[in-house]
Amino acid sequence: MAALIIWLRALAAIIRRELIATFSSPLAYIVLAAFLLLQGALFSLILGYLSQPGQSSMSILQAFFGGTIFFWFFLVVAPLITMRLVAEERRSGTIEVLLTSPVTETQVIIGKFAAVFIFYLALWTPTLVYVLMVKSQAAIDWGAVASSYLGVALFGALFVSLGLFASTLARSQIIAAVIAFTGLIILFGLPLTRGLLLSSSGLGAVIDHADLWQQMADYAKGIVDTRYVVYELSLTGLFLFLSTKSLELGKWR
Amino acid sequence: MIEVENLSRVYVDTPVVDGLSFHVPEGQILGFLGPNGAGKTTVMRMMTGFLPPTTGRVVVAGVDLDADPVGLRRKIGYLPENVPLYPELRVDEYLRFRADVEGVRRPELSESLEYVVERCMLSDVRRQAIGTLSKGYRQRVGLAGALIHKPPVLILDEPTVGLDPNQIIKIRELITELGRDHTVVLSTHILPEVEQICERVFIIDHGRVVADGTPEALRTKLIGNPVVRVEIRGAGDDAAESLGRLPGVVAVNRRADGVFLIEHAGDADPREGVFHLAVDRGWILLGLTPQRATLEDVFVRLTTADDAAPMAASAAQEV
Repeated sequence: MAALIIWLRALAAIIRRELIATFSSPLAYIVLAAFLLLQGALFSLILGYLSQPGQSSMSILQAFFGGTIFFWFFLVVAPLITMRLVAEERRSGTIEVLLTSPVTETQVIIGKFAAVFIFYLALWTPTLVYVLMVKSQAAIDWGAVASSYLGVALFGALFVSLGLFASTLARSQIIAAVIAFTGLIILFGLPLTRGLLLSSSGLGAVIDHADLWQQMADYAKGIVDTRYVVYELSLTGLFLFLSTKSLELGKWR
Repeated sequence: MIEVENLSRVYVDTPVVDGLSFHVPEGQILGFLGPNGAGKTTVMRMMTGFLPPTTGRVVVAGVDLDADPVGLRRKIGYLPENVPLYPELRVDEYLRFRADVEGVRRPELSESLEYVVERCMLSDVRRQAIGTLSKGYRQRVGLAGALIHKPPVLILDEPTVGLDPNQIIKIRELITELGRDHTVVLSTHILPEVEQICERVFIIDHGRVVADGTPEALRTKLIGNPVVRVEIRGAGDDAAESLGRLPGVVAVNRRADGVFLIEHAGDADPREGVFHLAVDRGWILLGLTPQRATLEDVFVRLTTADDAAPMAASAAQEV
């Protein structure tokens, strides 16, 4: 019991330190500001579009969360907010202090993941205002709102775990960001390769299920498909596992 | 307190640390001395569990590195080279972070914080961001972080590098003081530092210990007999011979400019004899100085000679 408390306290310390580091860098505020700007612009665009006569087949929140444009933003944002995590500690040497204290690599990775995931969720909190705005004017399907946010959270977990893994691979933040960016391009671009494959190939079906655009559109409609949830959670778990292993292996270099 | 057996680390066929074995008893301050690239940092990283050894065993305070790596880290306070810190944290935030990560229990937390702040003289910068501190303060913050869980063993990698002379003196005093409560292993390439702080010195070169002993013992064993430099005006041709007959004198080397280098047995000081002889013969004595061989000489001799290793092996046994 006492051991568990000490374990959790060390984890909390790692998360807290990571959040202090995040919010003391200008990058966090630049990303936040850009995010707000883009979200606002997108929301008003959708609002304008749906206000035209004959365009009422879709709810505004569904268009907002299921909209494909917005997620392209994460190709840039996810690498930006994760590149520092491990690469910077390697460069400055603080990783040596951290890994010679009685914490495990797993604790370090979970702590860093939790901190950056909290920041990711913080990016999304202003969108709650939009939900309230819509609520004041129209009926809202709360189930769809909940599933949209679930989708946002699951995608975020996947994106930042991939970024975290990339950050364990490099000593330079730029290289970490490039690796993460490449990984995300592959993840995002997978469905585009569908047309290149023969329709009979089993791979085509696999890719259909891995289609992030389709998945997000479904979440926005209020559909929570467990296959999607499992897909995102298992990839997140895989990247966190790989990050831990990479941190352990980093000692051998 | 520390037992290291046959520790080796091989990087792509090249041994960086080559079969190192040593024991450090409790309360000793041990200095690792060696040129850059000798393997000092690698040894320390292996002792702290940061770098896995290729072969060998490390036991600190009864905890085996292989059996319980996390437990071993609890026994060690480690200050890596160049004192890595988080510049965005304030001093007390950093110390609190280290305390939590090192597993300091809540009831002891505030007492531990007070202890290290007082010990490392940080009370006037507690609220300051680490990034704004001078190098000397940063060094003390690093030391405070390493001390926070009151580890029995402190491992300090080049703790005085990059400091100005005043700061160096302060850090050395602090380390000497810490040596009373902790077993300390420190590395340096500054020789006077070792002579001042350490009770025992390892000279390391190419990943091996080429000498092991007290600074005193190393000096006499490896440099040979002490020498007195005597400068005389008006000495006759037979002066060297007369000096050589003084008790305890082993050899006299006369230089052209009236300087005699008198080598003598360690326990016999020939200076009084030289004085009386000079008075008897009517020589004018211009200088009479014991030549103290420094560790610097030992160091240079051991780490530059090609045959350093075999010579050192025997030296290490003798000392």
